[in-house]
Parts: sequence; structure tokens; C-alpha cells
Amino acid sequence: MLCVRTRDWRHAERVNQTPVIKLTDLHKSFGSLHAVNGVGLSIRPGEVVALLGPNGAGKSTTIDLALGLARPTSGTAELFGGDPRSAIEAGRVGAMLQGGALLPTLTVAQSVALVAAAHRNPLSVDEALERARCTEIAKQRVSKLSGGQMQRARFAVAVVSNPDLLFLDEPTAAMDVEARRTFWQSMREFTDEGRTVVFATHYLDEADTYADRIVMLSAGRVVADGSPAEVKSVVSGRRIRAGFDFAWSQDIEDALLRLPGVRSVDHRSEQFTILSDDSDATLRSLLTTYDDIHDIEVTAHTMDDAFLALTEAATASETPSALTTNGAER
Amino acid sequence: MSIAYVGLESLRQIKNSRAMIFTLAVPLVMLIAFGGAFGANGQVDPVTKLPWIVATTIQVAAYGGMMAALSLAFNIVTERSIGWNRQLRLTPLSGTGYLLSKLATSMLMALFSIVIIFSVSGILYHPTLDPANWLLAGVSLWLGVIPFALIGILIGQFAKPEFAQPLFMAVFMGMAVLGGLWVPLQIFPAWVGNVAQVVPSYWLNRIGQMGARGSGDILEPAIVLLVWTVALGVFIAWRYRRDAARS
Repeated sequence: MLCVRTRDWRHAERVNQTPVIKLTDLHKSFGSLHAVNGVGLSIRPGEVVALLGPNGAGKSTTIDLALGLARPTSGTAELFGGDPRSAIEAGRVGAMLQGGALLPTLTVAQSVALVAAAHRNPLSVDEALERARCTEIAKQRVSKLSGGQMQRARFAVAVVSNPDLLFLDEPTAAMDVEARRTFWQSMREFTDEGRTVVFATHYLDEADTYADRIVMLSAGRVVADGSPAEVKSVVSGRRIRAGFDFAWSQDIEDALLRLPGVRSVDHRSEQFTILSDDSDATLRSLLTTYDDIHDIEVTAHTMDDAFLALTEAATASETPSALTTNGAER
Repeated sequence: MSIAYVGLESLRQIKNSRAMIFTLAVPLVMLIAFGGAFGANGQVDPVTKLPWIVATTIQVAAYGGMMAALSLAFNIVTERSIGWNRQLRLTPLSGTGYLLSKLATSMLMALFSIVIIFSVSGILYHPTLDPANWLLAGVSLWLGVIPFALIGILIGQFAKPEFAQPLFMAVFMGMAVLGGLWVPLQIFPAWVGNVAQVVPSYWLNRIGQMGARGSGDILEPAIVLLVWTVALGVFIAWRYRRDAARS
């Protein structure tokens, strides 16, 4: 059962609002490498956007450009309708960046206090620590933190200015399952107050579960932009998996391939997997033809499938046909 | 620039006692070694016309102040390498503000260093000098440290991390020896004394001595140090803009 969070009540008030992030035809080259190659994006207040893409797709560079930490070779980046630096100075932007670490000799609370001192209207140190679930580790030295605790401490530093927009570059890297869950809980509290989050991640299930919108990058370009369901739907069909008791043979494989809707058949020990464009029809004839199959599962394609399909399509052709869904125009 | 950040940052450095001990240990040992050996009986240094112990205290305090200011380079290198200043770029603290905070911290450390060395000298050797002259000497030394703070920033901010250490060593040894902060320049051949007049540490020592004497053409060292300050300041600003434009 798919649980959909309704954010529609906010939709009405969002219309005609200035986008929180507006990237226009951004390019960034490092020598002959085009790290970002024409990215255009408009993100509205309250959106939770996942930035996906293989390593080197340009996610971190795009975030750097959006924050004004790097200068675009061409194109423009705006936050809250103005210069990114003005938004940062106003304390409206927080970020956990790649290669942005905390001083090892300080405690977590001291780190938060030091960054708070640089901001104009920060939260109290205690409140920032609490929001990031860092109260228990407040007095620990940064050098003694585990990977997950370190990410939480960095989150506390990122929220101390009480920002309206957060950039998170692989926030849950180095976290175990429990820590990831806790992290996303505190993130949910943050976004439920109508704030905007853009996160880059390698965990596609996180993008699927927590994002309203997915922007997929490959080779410096946007190759997909839409809701998780829309992005997943670019890979059509479903997957039927079942166990069997008979001996596998080429004849059976050929027979399965002739069933209606079947695109491919694969088997491994006592289980086979059918990819089908019409799973209902495939399943009906499968069940009437074979009475000795069991433990049948029908699943929709996962974000992983969509990710591979989209990024492979983009790298295969020099001019990728952007599979942009209606997300860009919304 | 954020006053709150500068305050907290400086306090943090002062509290970092290990670093403080390191910058103070060497000058204090020098003070006790030289001062104890030659200065306890009130001899007068023929070159500076100051009591030997006063000249030694000035020389050692100049060294201590210089070290405190220069060693900021490592602090900046560390912050750059772990990405702390990337974190700071997400705050209202500007790049200039960051460098000014470093300058302020380094001046505070230098002041601390000079005051401690003067106090230890006073307690151990009771040198005969007017308090007003001590004050003048201390303030002259402290202001004279500014170019060294800028050199520290230059090394920390712009040297490649792997070159920062050898560059720091070369600069600091050169400054200490040529400035006569380790041993008086008189023991070297005359040409060393001539070369020394190019380096700011020579003039740092001189401005301290003039302050202590309360006489002499104090404008001369002041102008040399000011020229160094302006030149370094302009160079840092130019490098900083160039790096920012390249990002």
C-alpha cells in the first residue's frame, strides 16, 4: 500500500510565489570537463526535492552553483529571487555539504555556538541541538563522533540559522539504518513547517519515500524531473516472480516468452522472473498453463530500475532525450 | 563582519593551551638563558644603550609576538583542509570578515605573548625601566606585529597545504635570525646587519628598543613596518579576489 502525503492544502498558496531556487541554463566547466551542462530548475517553497544521479553526474557542483560557492561558466542561479549570497547573509539557507567538516577539537555544542555567532538571528544553541537530535552528544568532541553522530552534528550546524531552505549533500552517508530513520524523522519535522529541502543521495529508497519531487542528473544534465511515481513510470511494465518445482528447460523458457505481454524471462535455481508490459494478462495465462508454480509476487519497478534506465539512456546518446515529465512546468 | 564570531574564535585560540605553551615556551627559555647569563647585574648593552636585561626582554618579546602571529598560518591551513571555511561561507561572515577574524585572533595572541614575557622578566629580574617606557615598548612591539600576522595569513590562506610547513619554517627562521631575535646581530659579519634592514623583524626589534628608550627616530621603523603592512595587505587582497574569481 502506497502512502501518499497530501501537501495539496499548500498548493493554493504556492501559486505565483517566487521560486525558492531558480537555476537557468547553468553550465560549469573545469578545463575540458563539463561538470554541469545546461541545468535548468525551478523549485517552489515547501518542496522536498531529491537530486539523484551516478557519481560525477554533477550533483555536488549543481549545489555549489546554487549556493554561489562556485561561479557558473554561464547561466544564472537565484535563491529566493535574488543573489544566493544575499539569501545566505539573511540566514535563509542552511547546508550540509561535501567536504564541509567541523573542527575536530571542538565539542558539538561549541561548533554550533561558533557558527551561530557568525549568523545574525540564529536559533539558540540548545534549540538547534534539539532539532538535530544532538542534545545527548552536545558535550562530545567532534573528533570522537561516529559517522552517524557526525552527520547529526553537521545537521545541527546547518539549521542553527533557522533557514527556510536546506541543501543536504548525501546527508545519510555513513549512517546505519536506525540513524537514517531518526535523521529523516527530524527532517520531516523541518519540512512539515513548509520549508524547502533539496537533498542528494545514493539511497534511492530515501528519494522514493521522502521526496515530493525527483530530479535526476546524468552527465551534467537533467534527465528526469517529476514525482517519484512519474519518474518510476518511465520504466513501463511490472515484474512477476514465482517459484517452480519442475525442471527448467529451454522449451519452458520459450513457452513463457510466448505468454501475452512478456518482455523477458530470467531464472535462477527454483525461481523465475518475468518482465511484462501487461502483467494482468501474463498472470492469467501463466496460472492456467502451469499449476505447479507458487509464491507468486507481482511488483512495480523500483527507483533503481528507473535510475538505471534513465542514466544509461543519457550516457548512451550524446544528446540525451530528456525524459522530463510535467514536473518542469508545474 | 561578525564581532561575536571574532570574540568566540579568539577566546577559543587563547583557551587552546597547548598551542599557547608552544609559542611561549621557546621565548621564555631564551629569556631565562640570556637574561640569567648576562643581565642580572645591570650591565648596559653598548649598542642599544639599554640595560642588557631590557634589551633581551624586548628581543625575546618581539620573537614571542612574531611567533604568535605567524603560527596562525597552521590554524588557517587546518581549517582549509577540513573544510571549515567552506562551512563558514554559508554564514554572513564574508571572506574578508574571515581574514579579519584571523588578524584579530593573531593580534590578541601576540598581545598575550608580549604581556607574559614582560611580566616574567619583571618578576624574575626587576629590570630598571620606567613603567611608561615599558608601556611604550609593549605597544610598539604589539603594533609592529601586524605585518607578521599578515604573513601568517598569506601562508595559511594561499600556500598549498604541503608547502605551508617548509615555507613557514623558512620564513620564521629567516625572520628570527636576520631580525636579531635569537642572537644579537653584532656577532655576525657587517653585511648580515645590512641585509637585515630589509626584513620587518629587524625593525620590530628596533621599534621595541626605541619604545623602551623613549628616544630615537621612531618614525623610521614605523614607516618600514607600515610599508610592509600595506604591501602585504594589498597582495592578500589581490590574491583573495583572484581566487574568488576562479572558483
